Amino acid sequence: MITVTGWMLLFRGAVRMESELLAFEHVTCSADSVSLNAVSFRLNRGENLVIFGPESSGVDLISPLIAGIIHFSGGDIYYKGRPIKNFTFSEELAYRKDLGYLQKDYGLINNMTVEQNISLPLQYHSQLSGEGIRDVVDGFVRELNLEHCRDFRPVRLLRSEALKTAYARAIALDPDLLLFEHFLEGQCLINAQTVLRSIERRFVSGNKSVIFVTYEPERFVSFADRFLMLDHGAIVFMGTRDDFLRADNEFLAQYMRSSTEGPMTIL
Amino acid sequence: MQGAKEAVRRFGEKTINIWDGVKRFSQYVMSIFTSLRSIRYLKFRSIYMIAVNQTRFTGIDALPLIMLIALLFGATVIIQATKNFPKFGIEDFIGNLLVLIIARELGPLATAMIVISRSGSAIAAEIATQRQNKEILSLELMGIDTKLFIVLPRIIASTIAIFSLIAIFDLTAFFGGYLISLTTVFIPIDIFFGSLLNAVSFVDITITIVKSIIYGILIPLICCYYGFMPRSKFEIPIYVSRAVVRTLLIIFVINAFISALFYF
Repeated sequence: MITVTGWMLLFRGAVRMESELLAFEHVTCSADSVSLNAVSFRLNRGENLVIFGPESSGVDLISPLIAGIIHFSGGDIYYKGRPIKNFTFSEELAYRKDLGYLQKDYGLINNMTVEQNISLPLQYHSQLSGEGIRDVVDGFVRELNLEHCRDFRPVRLLRSEALKTAYARAIALDPDLLLFEHFLEGQCLINAQTVLRSIERRFVSGNKSVIFVTYEPERFVSFADRFLMLDHGAIVFMGTRDDFLRADNEFLAQYMRSSTEGPMTIL
Repeated sequence: MQGAKEAVRRFGEKTINIWDGVKRFSQYVMSIFTSLRSIRYLKFRSIYMIAVNQTRFTGIDALPLIMLIALLFGATVIIQATKNFPKFGIEDFIGNLLVLIIARELGPLATAMIVISRSGSAIAAEIATQRQNKEILSLELMGIDTKLFIVLPRIIASTIAIFSLIAIFDLTAFFGGYLISLTTVFIPIDIFFGSLLNAVSFVDITITIVKSIIYGILIPLICCYYGFMPRSKFEIPIYVSRAVVRTLLIIFVINAFISALFYF
């Protein structure tokens, strides 16, 4: 028999699950010379999170783990309350449909034009008609100023145009969770403003969540609600935007100074 | 003694490597069958252009080469036959010879060899390059089943293209070869085509269809397999070369097996 307290706990758990989008529970993983050791954090709907740290800290494992590209040896990852390691083959494909992944090399399909790259997830997954897909793609092309190069293949694109195309493709299906991995690195910031303004419009104070994986967390101060720093596979800082800006934490302070002196061992 | 031991050791290693290769290929084929479970989620429009482009490249773009080779083969066979058959008193069997050599064996084999060297190498190189450029990863991250999206349209396209090319090869070899052979020997047209029509049987047509389907499946299947394998850009030429050579070998073996099965 469940008591009143039990029902309240269940209800609170259900509400938490309802608002909780992603949860890492003691996730342990090792790939090449990089590892994560019992990392735990949660992301609620509408929250944006910046994950950063030095090169060997394990930050580059976070996005592939969430996407199920690499597998973890311990712990669990929950998406909308369900453990992702229990997904069947079809469920895994459907799960990735709900993720928008902007990888650092952009990964545009080289024998497709800008328009075809953006429409690819819509062609494959959506129920939209051909005309509907064209309307959606036209919207992205206009928003991101890609009119002049919509028929270009990636080899002809400038780096910022490749970024805009990859970004549009990542958000084409209006996913609930977006993973942006080192996407500004190597970009001219002036040219990347279109994408940054679009991110601000769409994903700051909405019901979508974004995880920014980066070496430059200061670029995302205006976008993120929380910041998480890793070092050698463990969380060394987790806090709000204000905590990040105060930089009271010694690991964070060393990182923001780009100094080799401090608690982190930088080779 | 030492030499013999070394030879045995190398032979054993080679055998184990071949067995491991066969196991890996079987796992790859099984993964494609697994992917077929999600075919109900696949929208044809997403693979339509890939299939069309692949059919154009494998079939239409190969047409001039196929027709040229077919003309030359056909002419060679007809000239040799018309020069030599009368010596044995079997000049009436020229149609049978053409069906035996060109329709049953040379047509499908020559077509397969051209498709492997043109399209097979291109498929392996394209997929290997896409893998290095993280394009395959992008597809997986979009929730696209890469086996269905990459391999299936190429199998469909190759099967259509190879069947058409074999038919065109055979017809070009017969008719074109006849026209060229008229420069050296004269065969009345009604005798030539009468002999040809009498020699063609329903089994020959069936075997041609069976071979085109088997080649159409195997060639892209094997070439895609090797395309997925390179772990760096430097390995791409190695695996493309392996794709071509091993596909050729398998096609020759399959061809001999089918001929033995149906005609022995």
